[in-house]
Amino acid sequence: MNNAILSVKDLHTSFFTSMGEVKAVDGVSFSVNKGETLGIVGESGSGKSASMLSILGLQGKSGRVKSGQVLFNGQDINTLNLQDIRGKNIAMIFQDPMTSLNPVLSVGYQLKESLRRHHWEGDIHARAVEMLERVGIVPAEQRLRQYPHEFSGGQRQRIMIAMAMICKPELLIADEPTTALDVTVQAQILALMKELQRDSGMSVILITHDLGVIAGNADRVLVMYGGHVMEQGTRREIFYGAAHPYTQGLLRSVPNPERPHERLIPIEGQPPDLLNPPKGCPYVKRCPHAMRICLEHRPETQTLSETHSYSCWQGVKE
Amino acid sequence: MKLLEVDGLAKYFETPSGIVHSVDGVSFIVEKGETLGLVGESGCGKTTTGRTIIRLYEPTRGKIIFDGQDITSLDAAQMLPFRKRMQMIFQDPYASLNPRMTVGDIVREPMIIHGIPKDEHHDRVTHLLRLVGLNSEQAGRYPHEFSGGQRQRIGIARALAVEPELIICDEPISALDVSIQAQIVNMLEDLQHELGLTYIFIAHDLSMVRHISTRVAVMYLGRIVELAPSDELYTNPKHPYTVSLLSSIPLPDPDKADSVKHIALQGEIPSAVNPPSGCTFHTRCPKARPECSSISTILQDTGNGHLCACPFM
Repeated sequence: MNNAILSVKDLHTSFFTSMGEVKAVDGVSFSVNKGETLGIVGESGSGKSASMLSILGLQGKSGRVKSGQVLFNGQDINTLNLQDIRGKNIAMIFQDPMTSLNPVLSVGYQLKESLRRHHWEGDIHARAVEMLERVGIVPAEQRLRQYPHEFSGGQRQRIMIAMAMICKPELLIADEPTTALDVTVQAQILALMKELQRDSGMSVILITHDLGVIAGNADRVLVMYGGHVMEQGTRREIFYGAAHPYTQGLLRSVPNPERPHERLIPIEGQPPDLLNPPKGCPYVKRCPHAMRICLEHRPETQTLSETHSYSCWQGVKE
Repeated sequence: MKLLEVDGLAKYFETPSGIVHSVDGVSFIVEKGETLGLVGESGCGKTTTGRTIIRLYEPTRGKIIFDGQDITSLDAAQMLPFRKRMQMIFQDPYASLNPRMTVGDIVREPMIIHGIPKDEHHDRVTHLLRLVGLNSEQAGRYPHEFSGGQRQRIGIARALAVEPELIICDEPISALDVSIQAQIVNMLEDLQHELGLTYIFIAHDLSMVRHISTRVAVMYLGRIVELAPSDELYTNPKHPYTVSLLSSIPLPDPDKADSVKHIALQGEIPSAVNPPSGCTFHTRCPKARPECSSISTILQDTGNGHLCACPFM
């Protein structure tokens, strides 16, 4: 698709631990279109964060991107200088605003850091003031001189957003940006992110385990489990027409607002052991529809519409 | 029949920056066999309330009456038999289990403390592990060999070890994956029916609290602002804070998510060192009036057991 700002093809990333190789990302493909919000939903160990870190070359010393291709604006990201792209073209917000800010540097210094690194043309101080005001932290002149501990959790996340947006990125990766926040603050932050996106036209990858956050904020949704993409589709295709047993199970396991006291239907069993993953489908041990083939062979991707596909042996014709 | 009564309970903490009014005059009763949900945002005092009830913290003011007996100022020895009747489940299944004890020893420890005859321990551990969906062969293993959901099951088995009547569940599912949360909630419900347990369920996941609770109390800055039967509270919230809180719940349904209007609150939660005068919510309330900074807010019954602290609703 020409419209894609980011496209990831068959990405494989492993982490090498004392216990053995963990295949955190095991053949992941997806793309992000210009101006859209792609929601990625998955549980711990699903590979959602590891995929993002691999894209940005931040997988760390124990991690290795074994294969796959990442195209940013059509160019192979390995041919580009990642240090020039990170923070400028692609920015990232992390879950914990407490540990992602440096406690011994003023907020102003940290905001300006990326402007300096990327040789911002214009008044660096004025840009920092403008961004802090934009995220609602005033009086900005004064607050730039303060340190992270002088702000609340919600304010720190606003500062992180200001920092991410300051170089006008084309793609923002938000990894559980509101998980550590209270619901009323979460609502404020999500509204702010939407507003900034509308003004700038940037694309957003929103990673979360909260189906409610996805339903209200994503255009398209990627469902991940055990390092694999299980299903992807538009928000409506996923919430109203989930095809993969895992997606269906996930949607059923949260209370239904219409019938709040109905017994919940959990997904039985435990999350997959990433050190010893099943040969076939990672969901096989918990899947109510598991067949013998699911144990041995990776499921084929089945296409339901131009935007909707899922990986499952169920419904595949002989 | 009421099992627990809390009357004007307050807990202040002295810190270098001043006295923190964590819990500031909280009153409610808990009926035997029900689940009382306690919700509110971080710093509202819900966890401190739970811990003060069980007297992990010493109350600054107020009374705690358990099964008709005032336990507010009992000493450690007098308190011991009551501790057996009130247990707690914690949020973090990683930090709340001793990594150097086997699962069997973890579940056995309360039995030792409360003098349960030694010859019963083995059978009880086996029974308890089965009750929470683990098998007895796992008694010899250590916490790190289990997943988060399984560890929370171990914490529940430990809480059940001395056959308590009241369990204070402090964010028991918030550290767990979505697919595991429903397993634990279903199990807590089953155990409640089988064993006739009473729960205080502290959480910030408002949808899950509605699901599990008989009645729900909403806290803000150390006080209860509204308390009502669960469905009544969620369908007919009266206090402006509750209205705003409920409108912030992200709904897992695109059409509903698009149609709900968030009632955004301005600013941040004020400091509990210097809480605002009068109604503590008046600094952020979309419906505040001039007199709100001086009124006294007491929970008033507006009918059908629906209590609200805002006099203008």
